[in-house]
Amino acid sequence: MNCTEVEEREILERYLLDRLTEPEREEFEKHYFECGTCFAQVQTGLALQTELRRQPAMPVRARGASLLRTWVWAPAFAAIVILLTAGIWWYSARNRQPLQQVAAPPPKVSPNVPVKVQSPSTTPSLEELARVEPPPYSAVVLRGAEDESHEAFHKAMQYYVKEDYAHAIPGVRAAVEASPQTASFSFYLGACYLLTGQTDLAIISFRKTVSLGDSAYSESAHFYLAKAYLGNKDVARAQDELQRTVQFHGSLEAPAAEILRQLRN
Amino acid sequence: MSLPSATSAGELRNLAERIRQGDASAETELVHEFSHRIFVMGVVRTHDREAARELVQDVLMAVIGALRNGQLQDADKLAAFVHGTARNLINNQLRAQSQAPALDPLPEDLAQACSAEQLEDAERVGLVHQALERLGQQDRKILWMTLVQGHKPGEIAAALGLSAEVVRTRKTRAVKKVADLIRKKLSRT
Repeated sequence: MNCTEVEEREILERYLLDRLTEPEREEFEKHYFECGTCFAQVQTGLALQTELRRQPAMPVRARGASLLRTWVWAPAFAAIVILLTAGIWWYSARNRQPLQQVAAPPPKVSPNVPVKVQSPSTTPSLEELARVEPPPYSAVVLRGAEDESHEAFHKAMQYYVKEDYAHAIPGVRAAVEASPQTASFSFYLGACYLLTGQTDLAIISFRKTVSLGDSAYSESAHFYLAKAYLGNKDVARAQDELQRTVQFHGSLEAPAAEILRQLRN
Repeated sequence: MSLPSATSAGELRNLAERIRQGDASAETELVHEFSHRIFVMGVVRTHDREAARELVQDVLMAVIGALRNGQLQDADKLAAFVHGTARNLINNQLRAQSQAPALDPLPEDLAQACSAEQLEDAERVGLVHQALERLGQQDRKILWMTLVQGHKPGEIAAALGLSAEVVRTRKTRAVKKVADLIRKKLSRT
């Protein structure tokens, strides 16, 4: 690895966010153990990350907001398009009339037949449909002493609550390794992966949650599995998971059905 | 506080040899050269600053012990040897925190050279705070969305109404601006 590669492949950011593969991480660390310039960048990046985490969250207009704005303006935009199209149709029909009289008899057009106007596309993109809100989490404190896996999980989920999903991953992953049959661990590991853009890993974790059988997390696992598939643009599998979500008739039935409807449009 | 050194391969080779021959000042140089790197690596891998501080001492003690005993076969690979030792100890700690064998602490003078204050780079964080204030609101948002929220340039671009290329350029420029300011300030001290 060299300094140019570090910049081009956004290695520094991915390193600080724990998103490098093990061989990549190893290679980058070996590089900065010998390269003063890159190590200065790592130090600065880490200090920046630390400082930015201390600062209050910055308001950023989410894509959902811009989508909302699109929806708000959509009727007005559609009305303008309808008026323009109707105007063009009327004008061209009027200009064509003499020619039509010579060439052929005018077609019988019922005045009641609505003019078909291509409305502007308001169907959200796959990327927008793949957007996720973090699954809610509140720590459940069990009576008696907790085992190590639960302790690790609760500790890691403190990062999750602070929306620091990348840092939650190692602890939640450790909890999954220690207790592979606990559905909540697998589910939130999937959620962390999904929220950090690691959709393939998210799919593995959600599928595992589903495979653990009927649990409080089954419905959510199917729903977020669908979101992960949408993120991978695998619409067929996403639709399948959304249909399974609907079959639970739970709290995610309505949003799953709505996404299915939008996918069919 | 020291700037990250850019010790040449020849100097590192020499350092390993001097430690093998019992040169105490070479051990201090080794601590200066690698303690920050081990600390940063520990923080990134464990997400625990306290654990990372302890790791620095453990790693340096293990490395110095090995060098004193002439266990480093190829003196050209000192940096890789330190990195490998750090990785192994971090992995051991992550696997079994309580079962990791306790190593002897560093001697007082060497421990001073990698004190918590030095490793934490409080001055650097303070300078970062100043540098962030000098950046424009949008550049700060780009950095925040990248380093805290973990968004990719394309996602940030969509949220801020910019192109992904502009986001990449502004992010790189902002990090360099902060790094430059830190370098200038630290080189004056």
